[in-house]
Amino acid sequence: MRPAVRVVVGTLLLTTLAGLCVHYGATYDERWPHPTGDQLQDDPGQFTDQQVLLFGEVQTAAEDTIVIHVHDDADDIAAELEVTNVDKSVEPGGMVQVYGVLDSDQTMTAEKTVVVNRSDGASTYKYVVSLAGALLAISYFCKHWQPLPQKLGFEPRTGRTERDTEGPNDG
Amino acid sequence: MADLLTHVLAAYALFTVASWRFEWLTKRWVAIAMIGALLPDLNRLGLLVTDATLESVLGVPFSLDAMQTIGGVCLLAGVGAVVLTERHRRAFGFLLAGAFSHLVIDGLKAYADGAAGTWLYPITWYRHPTPNLYVSSDPTVLVITGIIAGSVFLYERYWL
Repeated sequence: MRPAVRVVVGTLLLTTLAGLCVHYGATYDERWPHPTGDQLQDDPGQFTDQQVLLFGEVQTAAEDTIVIHVHDDADDIAAELEVTNVDKSVEPGGMVQVYGVLDSDQTMTAEKTVVVNRSDGASTYKYVVSLAGALLAISYFCKHWQPLPQKLGFEPRTGRTERDTEGPNDG
Repeated sequence: MADLLTHVLAAYALFTVASWRFEWLTKRWVAIAMIGALLPDLNRLGLLVTDATLESVLGVPFSLDAMQTIGGVCLLAGVGAVVLTERHRRAFGFLLAGAFSHLVIDGLKAYADGAAGTWLYPITWYRHPTPNLYVSSDPTVLVITGIIAGSVFLYERYWL
């Protein structure tokens, strides 16, 4: 495929991807069976006495009760919630999923809790390890492929030995 | 999501083992599959710019999380395939396979309501039951995957 054609195809695919992101963003709140941070912020009473799943950042933790902040799309605080019956160990700065019936006074008795990140340090661990993963994949890729600026792309780095085992060009 | 290193090591192990069976599946395609395993987590660009910021700039609803779905990775794999100068269809296949391995592993993680995320979008919004096998920050997942990937590496290097 000529470089100009690849640029056109790539641009079309990225435009379609942007469209997919728009559709996903426009329909997610309706399709997700639980309140999002934005919905909770707009009308907290709408979900009273309903069984909901919420994601929140732990602010305080004492015995089996935690206070969490649920965030909206802008990562601002959409709601503060006191959750009781939390049977897992978690520290302030951690991230949890809580599932239970939402009461009118912004409290919940958790039926089930999943600790996503036990503490702020667990989030840091995840990001550092993920960065290592990205670097590993990119390094391995660069070991086998090389940039070819004049063709606006990458081509195999190895010689003909490996190429000959792959059969005819498939486009 | 599990951490990204787990996904990359899982793709390495999976496609390296497959390369023992198929002669045409060479190291360069294992590398492409490992890049594919990164694709769903491109939604983490949201750490740099939030959906709300993008929405205010574009004037329409927008969610980067669409990239962590079947539809999102199909399009991303297509973009990745045309970044190569040749063998676009094979590159698309391996990018998609790597990304699919990522989505399947993510489909096993814990949700408090017992159903996985909406990764089957846009085919369906159905959330399949999840076995709640792990949470993303659990180092055990990485240790197990690391042992498997390390074993594959050593087996190939010294026994094959």
